Amino acid sequence: MKLLLSDRELPAELVKRGDYKYISLVQKKIHNCTGCFGCWVRTPGKCVIRDDATEIYPLIAQSEKLIYVSRIYLGSYDIPMKIMLERAIPVQKAFIRIHGGETHHVQRDVKEKEAVIIGYGNLSEKEKNLFENLVERNAKNMSFKRWRISFVEENEVDEAVIKELDLWEN
Amino acid sequence: MGKLVIINGSPRAVKSNSKRYGEIFKGYWGDSAEEFNVISGRYREICMCVEKHRELLFIFPLYADGIPAVLLGFLKELEKSSYKHKPTVHAIINCGFLEPEQNNVAADMIGLFCEKNGYPLGMILCIGGGEAILDTPFAFMAKRKIKKMAAAIRKGQSYRLKTSMMLTKNMFIKASSKYWTEMGMKNGISREDMDTMEIEGKTNKE
Ligand SMILES: Cc1cc2nc3c(=O)[nH]c(=O)nc-3n(C[C@H](O)[C@H](O)[C@H](O)COP(=O)(O)O)c2cc1C
Repeated sequence: MKLLLSDRELPAELVKRGDYKYISLVQKKIHNCTGCFGCWVRTPGKCVIRDDATEIYPLIAQSEKLIYVSRIYLGSYDIPMKIMLERAIPVQKAFIRIHGGETHHVQRDVKEKEAVIIGYGNLSEKEKNLFENLVERNAKNMSFKRWRISFVEENEVDEAVIKELDLWEN
Repeated sequence: MGKLVIINGSPRAVKSNSKRYGEIFKGYWGDSAEEFNVISGRYREICMCVEKHRELLFIFPLYADGIPAVLLGFLKELEKSSYKHKPTVHAIINCGFLEPEQNNVAADMIGLFCEKNGYPLGMILCIGGGEAILDTPFAFMAKRKIKKMAAAIRKGQSYRLKTSMMLTKNMFIKASSKYWTEMGMKNGISREDMDTMEIEGKTNKE
């Protein structure tokens, strides 16, 4: 499964064309994680907050190729994407293993993936570097076997998405 | 001008480990401190208070390798305030995994916030195994570093400290399995239940 998850609406003609799921976070109601760990110790594999996030983290888990489109803030995913990623911890177990020489959670049924992150905004080199470091860390917790980051200005996002979708198709 | 304002960036707020680290810090600080939780949403009030203090201490957990979204929301608000006086910013960051270095990216984000907005950067303490350390025999290690941090802040110093449980990775894995299994048991959830591969009741094969 391929997933395109975006923190902004992408043009309809662009997102209808292929065999992938497109989700825009714009219309979704997703609350902040409350840090209750219910998804590990109460209802394992399910978040206790029953909002739109519960449809999205299973798709993240199933995807073998994914594109995240997100504004960058302080070298982090900006708030909408960050909330979603925080709400995705039901895909992991409470239990810990050694992975890449560090302690990390054991994953549930999560496919290893190739990830492309289109990070947009007016970014300094320092901010870009920091985001790269973040994604490198994320890779270990989010089952990225390969990843690539494309930094663009806000007005270049659609073009960057088309480029990545073309790569998926060819 | 007040001396210290503590801002708790944990979504668990009053029930958070961050709150407990803050209590320990206050014990060593030995002076008055104003305290807020970002999830209170009282952004205006908190921002106004920030301007009136010399030191600002953020205490927060690592979330998805970075700063929790709830704290990012507050930082955005603080960026909008155009106060003349900017306190020195410090942070205690705690993460669930054993290696305190996993907090470094979040620490760098605090550094970037300071750089972009003209806040002096002070002390940062990164705590590994932060979910459990205070209830283990290694609590003294966290307390010792918090004490050192409080003293360094008083001296106007600026560097990074780290601490964790003195355990090998394998010992940590064993101890954490026990910790989480007991948490599950309290809710009537067995280890096997917790070990499920299903996400929202399904596996990829279904
Ligand atoms: C949504 C979520 C994401 C987390 N992400 C990480 C992480 O990336 N790395 C880590 O070591 N711990 C992670 N943790 C664990 C917390 O940092 C840890 O439990 C911490 O002690 C919580 O502190 P608090 O009680 O002050 O909120 C995460 C916890 C939650 C709920």
